[in-house]
Amino acid sequence: MAAVDRLAGAQKLFIGQNLADARAMVPDLTAREIDLPLLEAAFGTFADWHSNASPLVAVMSDMNVYGDLVLDITGVSHLFGSELGMLRTLVLRLRQLGYAADGAVASTIGAAWAASHFAPNRVVPAEQTGGLLDGLSVAALRLAPMQVAGLIQMGLKQIGQLRGRDRKGLQARFGASLIMRLDQAFGYAEERIAPRLPVAERYAERKFPDPIGLMDDVLMTTQDLAIQLGIRLESEGLGAQAFHLFLYRVDHKVMTLSVNAGSPTRDPDHIARLFANRAERLQGEYDAGFGIDMIRLAASSVAPLEPSQLGAFSRGDDTDLGHLYDRMSSRLGTLSVVRSAFVDTHIPERAVRLEPVIARSADNPAAAPDPEQARPLRLLPMPEPIGITAEVPDGPPMAMIWRRVSYRFVKAQGPERLNAEWWRSGQRLVLVPPLTQQELNELKQQGKEPPYTPNVPLFYTWNAVRDYYIAEDAGGRRFWLFRLGIYGVAPNPTWYLHGFFS
Amino acid sequence: MSNPAKQERLAALRASIANIERRPVLSEPVSVQDHEPDRFIVPAPGLVQEVFADERRNSAALLGFALGQVRSLLTPTRRAVIYLQMLAEAQEMGLPYGPGLASFGFDPDALVLIRPANIIELLWAVEEALACGAVAAVIADIAGHPKVLDFTASRRLSLRADAGGTSLFLLRYGAWREASAAQLRWHLTPALSATTQFDARAPGETRWRARLERGVIGDRQNQEWLLEWTQNGFQIVADRRRHPAGSVERQALSGALFADLADRLSEAG
Repeated sequence: MAAVDRLAGAQKLFIGQNLADARAMVPDLTAREIDLPLLEAAFGTFADWHSNASPLVAVMSDMNVYGDLVLDITGVSHLFGSELGMLRTLVLRLRQLGYAADGAVASTIGAAWAASHFAPNRVVPAEQTGGLLDGLSVAALRLAPMQVAGLIQMGLKQIGQLRGRDRKGLQARFGASLIMRLDQAFGYAEERIAPRLPVAERYAERKFPDPIGLMDDVLMTTQDLAIQLGIRLESEGLGAQAFHLFLYRVDHKVMTLSVNAGSPTRDPDHIARLFANRAERLQGEYDAGFGIDMIRLAASSVAPLEPSQLGAFSRGDDTDLGHLYDRMSSRLGTLSVVRSAFVDTHIPERAVRLEPVIARSADNPAAAPDPEQARPLRLLPMPEPIGITAEVPDGPPMAMIWRRVSYRFVKAQGPERLNAEWWRSGQRLVLVPPLTQQELNELKQQGKEPPYTPNVPLFYTWNAVRDYYIAEDAGGRRFWLFRLGIYGVAPNPTWYLHGFFS
Repeated sequence: MSNPAKQERLAALRASIANIERRPVLSEPVSVQDHEPDRFIVPAPGLVQEVFADERRNSAALLGFALGQVRSLLTPTRRAVIYLQMLAEAQEMGLPYGPGLASFGFDPDALVLIRPANIIELLWAVEEALACGAVAAVIADIAGHPKVLDFTASRRLSLRADAGGTSLFLLRYGAWREASAAQLRWHLTPALSATTQFDARAPGETRWRARLERGVIGDRQNQEWLLEWTQNGFQIVADRRRHPAGSVERQALSGALFADLADRLSEAG
């Protein structure tokens, strides 16, 4: 059993108990199977929502099946008046939503966990940490059940009894994790949390006394926040490439909008416009629920950005173009604004990779195309099979049927033979390498099913040699055709249309 | 009312109407290179041109014609060309291919491809790109006849192009012509290429037959040119074809002419 409610607790049922035992004790027990993905998702949204209280929020799932929320409140508690005020606000907020929640504030993660589970809803000042922990059960140390049972068997019931004992002896008997947990609880060893949301050091936020809902209001606030953030970045001489807008809804949900810029920027108008474009792409997905009570604009991927002076008469086209690509990417999607990057290969369709303009990679000078080679102006993403009339074995194409229309060629040039990659010959071209016999045997011993591997025939270069022809029909249209395979070697050579010349 | 006063009032009225309409001034849209009469036109920046082909399978000819004109518009400050095509039409008509652009004589680095999901986004992107001072030209490949692209939309685009000084090429297909505010409209058909010097069966340089359907270049209207693409740009070729409706003419006289490749098919039966 992973959790019991108050009624079940009164019947002396406890967490970790066998369901059969529990049924024996309480015959009319209502048991529900735990839905771990749902729980994880729910804790995820809770954690994200709590980032309106503190930017560093994590879900610690190593102790309970349903996890613990950890907030680093360094430097934020004064916003709630005091640490106690913050704790009360957060716990009450959850309880008002109908959840049973407890919490504690302490100077270490271990102590906070112990206090929240065994002496909840209090603030433990740093100097009282030792005193509080000494009186708690050893189960408060985040130990495995085996370790706890062993310690209790030895008569070590309280944490205080462990202090001053021979550490080596304890480690030998109960494992290194006991010492580690002990040190973590008392603050002798460092422990860190892995925050769920990217930690942005630079952000601007605004809270609303009354929740807002309209997208226009959100965008207006974004503009204001962008100005604040821009001033902050400018004072540090920085620009950022990624901006995230967190919309904290009243009903414990967070919406995130992110935009990227091709080069570091801090221009508030530009940032606000990117978000306006991005919001337009949301269409119906935007749902403010019962309203938004806080908005935070954060910047990440920061890089130094020197203030640049515009020439008296120049138009500053570099930034113009960059901003244009940013705006288009934010509205149409990053993958819709692309440029051709060249790849060093002779296979035509692989020689060009369409990469996003705002995530531009360095050019490979070895891959630059040769202007002397005749290549079509338009290339079909997938070569289309065509019916062709040509002399066997290696005559030029004379007529073609493509998309149910027949063409008679007047002129043809070729062949230009592009061989397949010989270094792959005799291999199976699959993405996941097949398992060896030994690995298969191991899987069989463990009683597991071997993963599905498609039965791909071996790849041989003579099946994949292409002979490219440029053929011109009576209307002056020029096509780039190829025959896959060579007559007499490949089992059945086929013809494809690959591109069009101007 | 005396005559000069009447003239003055008329001129003022005309000016105010022009002001209300905000017509872009189209006094000299294109210049013909006078010193080389066999060279084709050089378009002025900020012009909207529609290029029509009868069928979608001629799409590469349209792209070549547009890129050939765009090449002369590229300057150090205006060094980007935006090409737009709807995402779903890439397999239908093919995507501009980098090495092909290089062999055509166009720098593939200058071309940015935009692939919007629908026509509304495409028109938005066109408008956005026209306003940018660093873009030399925008080439929009629009198959079909979307209702959104009406006279209002094209008028809006032409005003944008005129204000920003960026040229716009609309590549269109089919025989239907909508009302549009484009300054020039071309009807383009690919033409049989010239024979090459060493291999009579090989296709030669690209040729187009371009008819100016709308607009005036110099003093010429509704004229047809046979153009050939050379390293230096468009070259006007003397067109020996008299009847535009006929197919490829064959001379009855004997000469150094090879048989068509497909002619052998009929011989074989």
